[in-house]
Amino acid sequence: MTAYLLRRTGQAIVVVIGVMVLTFALIHLAPGSAARATLGTKATAERIAVFNAANGLNRPLAAQFATFVKQAAEGNFGTSYSLHEPVSTLIAQRLPRDAVLLGLSTLLALLVALPMGVYQAVRRGRAGDHMLTVLSFVLYSMPDFFFGLLLVALFSVQLHLLPSQAPQAQSVGGVLADPKALVLPVVTLALVSLASFSRYMRSSAIGVLAQDHVLVARAKGLPEHLVLRRHVLRNALLPVITVLGLAAPAIVTGAVIAESVFNYPGMGLLFYQAATSKDYPILLASTLVVGVATVLGSLLADIAYTLLDPRIRYDRG
Amino acid sequence: MPPLLDVRNLTTHIRTGRGTVRAVQDVSFTLEAGETLGLVGESGCGKSMTGLSLLGLLPPGGTLVEGSSVRLDGRELVGLPDRELRTVRGNDIAMVFQDPMTSLDPTKTIGHQVAEPVLLHRGVSRAAARERAVEVLGLVGLPQPRRRLSDYPHQLSGGQRQRALIAMALANEPRVLIADEPTTALDVTIQAQILALLADLRARLGMAMILITHDMGVTAGNTDRVNVMYAGRIAESTGTDRLFSRMRHPYTQRLLASVPRLTQDPALLLPTIPGLPPDLADPPTGCRFADRCPYATARCRAEEPQLDGTAEHRFACWHPVDGPAPAEIGGKVADAVAGAATGGGEGAAATTGLAEGPAAAGTVVRPRAPEPAAAAAPLLEARGLVREYPLRGSWLPGRDRRVVHAVSDVSFTLARGETFGLVGESGCGKTTLGRLLVGLDRPDAGAVTLEGTDIGTLRGGELRRRRRDLQMVFQDPFSSLDPRMRVSAVLREPLRIQGIGTAREQRARVAELMAEVGLPERGLDLFPHEFSGGQRQRVGLARALALTPKVIVADEPVSALDVSVRAQVLNLMKRLQAAHGLSYVVISHDLAVVRHLADRIGVMYLGRLVEVGTAAEVHRRPAHPYTAGLLAAVPVPDPAQERAKRGAGIGGELPDPAAPPSGCRFRTRCPLAQERCAREEPALRSFGPGHTAACHFPLVAPAADSPSDVAAGRP
Ligand SMILES: Nc1ncnc2c1ncn2[C@@H]1O[C@H](COP(=O)(O)OP(=O)(O)OP(=O)(O)O)[C@@H](O)[C@H]1O
Ligand code: SF4
Ligand code: SF4
Ligand SMILES: [Mg+2]
Repeated sequence: MTAYLLRRTGQAIVVVIGVMVLTFALIHLAPGSAARATLGTKATAERIAVFNAANGLNRPLAAQFATFVKQAAEGNFGTSYSLHEPVSTLIAQRLPRDAVLLGLSTLLALLVALPMGVYQAVRRGRAGDHMLTVLSFVLYSMPDFFFGLLLVALFSVQLHLLPSQAPQAQSVGGVLADPKALVLPVVTLALVSLASFSRYMRSSAIGVLAQDHVLVARAKGLPEHLVLRRHVLRNALLPVITVLGLAAPAIVTGAVIAESVFNYPGMGLLFYQAATSKDYPILLASTLVVGVATVLGSLLADIAYTLLDPRIRYDRG
Repeated sequence: MPPLLDVRNLTTHIRTGRGTVRAVQDVSFTLEAGETLGLVGESGCGKSMTGLSLLGLLPPGGTLVEGSSVRLDGRELVGLPDRELRTVRGNDIAMVFQDPMTSLDPTKTIGHQVAEPVLLHRGVSRAAARERAVEVLGLVGLPQPRRRLSDYPHQLSGGQRQRALIAMALANEPRVLIADEPTTALDVTIQAQILALLADLRARLGMAMILITHDMGVTAGNTDRVNVMYAGRIAESTGTDRLFSRMRHPYTQRLLASVPRLTQDPALLLPTIPGLPPDLADPPTGCRFADRCPYATARCRAEEPQLDGTAEHRFACWHPVDGPAPAEIGGKVADAVAGAATGGGEGAAATTGLAEGPAAAGTVVRPRAPEPAAAAAPLLEARGLVREYPLRGSWLPGRDRRVVHAVSDVSFTLARGETFGLVGESGCGKTTLGRLLVGLDRPDAGAVTLEGTDIGTLRGGELRRRRRDLQMVFQDPFSSLDPRMRVSAVLREPLRIQGIGTAREQRARVAELMAEVGLPERGLDLFPHEFSGGQRQRVGLARALALTPKVIVADEPVSALDVSVRAQVLNLMKRLQAAHGLSYVVISHDLAVVRHLADRIGVMYLGRLVEVGTAAEVHRRPAHPYTAGLLAAVPVPDPAQERAKRGAGIGGELPDPAAPPSGCRFRTRCPLAQERCAREEPALRSFGPGHTAACHFPLVAPAADSPSDVAAGRP
């Protein structure tokens, strides 16, 4: 198993390098230049030349890429064109805050979605299943920002129960110290993932419930709740884990919306602003962060899968 | 004293999208301690549902209808609250299911799963439950039970898993064991071991057993009494001996007649039961068997016969028969050949309304297998075929290069119009060999020649043309097909790929093919899933015939089919061969099927061909101990014969094909093995014309050693 995990990690590193090359190429081949975007359309040729020279944009692409990789390895992503701060500082401020928000909301979504999917599978075709199916589709089709606004309107504007803004503290500790303010953003993001997670879990659990070993468990005299907990849940989780690993980018895009609705400056907003102002250093760095998050997500999913499924644990020596 | 288990008027209905399925109707029987009751019948006749109903384990939508009663030791189980019923399940009544591959939770250890019912019902400590698990795993003959506790199901072979499942069911010493097709998914050799184990345990623990099976041979040797079920009802119920010798119900008679036997005259067609069982969502009024019964009258269609007769022999029929049908009832192969040309069919099938089974009349004589002189120029020849698959991960540095020896040095010939049967346990390399023969896979060494041309050297157009002559038929031809393709497209595909004929000619050929395999032209517009298993196999044969091949390699062509449908397909294969002078290579784990179809038989063990000979010779005078063991393990539908050989057969399991034993590969399981067998690999020797076997200590004297091999003793 160790050999398999090492091999899998090696693969992940190769993919990350691929992501870097690709984003670097895409950004530099895109029309419009950073200089014009930063200095405005009226900038003179000299000012553009000065800007390019100062930022190394007049060097050959390969050289620029080499510098980028070398600096990235040192944790140095250059200075933002528009915000005039080191990119690494910007990311260091925002990434942990996002990790808190996304981690909590994904956890919440899973805690609800897994039992919900199993429940629906057990009651398949009956009223409870139909109601939850409709609910999932409503959640799934509703735009996330609308959803956030709806919750704000209800819980903070109408009922004055919860603040409409996410915690404004800079540090993770500070964010966590204000749990009340976290509720709405976390719930908003969780509801978005809940719909798809519970659908996956439902169909996977339906498949497991039809398997012979579940009937065997019942024939042993196990009460239904133990049948579900011991013999259905873990088996049904396996295919869902893979999906989860691939859901990382979707979760990150969800974050952009939640960040703007709840005024919670994180990676999403940073990326969005950088994209509109062609702030190359930030774009490169944050693409890299999302790329690494995705690769890490599927790597973690594979590791979890390996731990949960003995067939793989023993085979992949 | 009340009987141990007393079932009365058991009726199970299942509400589904297409209406209420009457899965079990009015089933009554009793069972005493120490007794084994067989439940037999074709697929879908309600055998499993009867077993599950006893435990109250109904599928969603299932209910036991008012009036159903199941008494265990006088205690009524129907209507018990679920909590009380659960104390019966896995404790007083336990169940073993058909497929050991899917019946264990893949994510839990064997120890956990076997200890689970003990922990649940006996209220003992975890450690005590584990000890009990070790004990029962030992009882069912799993080697090194303590070490197996921490194994996961995928680390066990099929036979070992079935042992673990039986251990699980026996952990609490139940009084009734319901075994639902416990050996259907296993090889004959392992089947014999498991059945012997069940009989032994039943005797030792004084359990009662309900043995659910569709195999009349298994029924013959392992039951005291039998309930024959048809379409959810009991058709006949009596003692096992009486059922096989003096059955009264026409269904029992025909079911038994359609079983291919080792002793069957291959020149005769198998008697078949035309059509399919009725749809249980809409059962016919009157006798449910009427549509397929040769004795049906107007009364049968109007009035349903009740289960009646004496206490020891009950049957539900207005016009009971008296004993078995004569063997010639199916007719001669030769007579059936011209029948196809005139078309027509007997009976109507239920699911799609298509006719099953060709009519028989006419006198075209089958071109027999050629004389030994003609065999000098074989149609197809395999010479020294070797195929080895590297094990996963073995390319990594620091690991041994391990390979699975799937096919090792196999040679044989196939003459024009001949059928060569290949038998052996699963995993012995039969399918790999079949794929090599038709060029779907390439050998690592050796060659396959068709009419003298090495098909391995062919390329491009020449290869494509030669491929026409070699076709393959699979166990289920549609599992590898696009479910959205109509049958007409399926049959035209090979013609189109080979660029044969205009569109109109192709359509005409497709229609011809359908008639050839006994399907109406109407079937062309249907999709694969709209066919029954037997009809699908007919389409599979039609597809193989499309390019008028010379050789058809059929891999387990009837394994997925019910007894009566199996007989229909076997007859069809014989008729097609006679009509087109086809040569077959038939691969099957079922010796009776191979015996029925084949002129010559090759026995494979762990990649090697250990014995080859004419079907009659191999059957009558097997030289190799493995062949003899396989033959002994085949259950025959004759109670006296079956009981006589209880415990015979081959012990142990197929060794790891990546590390075959030294010397003779069979030596780890051979009762005759001696020291020389481990040292020296036996070469093939002659045991008479066309009969070779590879064994140092054969059961009959080799031809060279004994001038009169007829005198050699039989095992
Ligand atoms: N879950 C289910 N829902 C609806 N109908 C079912 C279900 N399971 C079985 N049936 C129907 O009940 C009838 C009896 O099925 P059962 O499984 O008892 O047959 P069987 O004799 O065990 O067949 P086999 O030899 O194929 O195992 C069939 O008509 C089948 O289609
Ligand atoms: S009742 Fe009639 S149709 Fe039914 S089995 Fe008897 S003879 Fe055949
Ligand atoms: S060679 Fe030896 S081990 Fe092999 S089959 Fe013959 S007697 Fe048995
Ligand atoms: Mg069944």
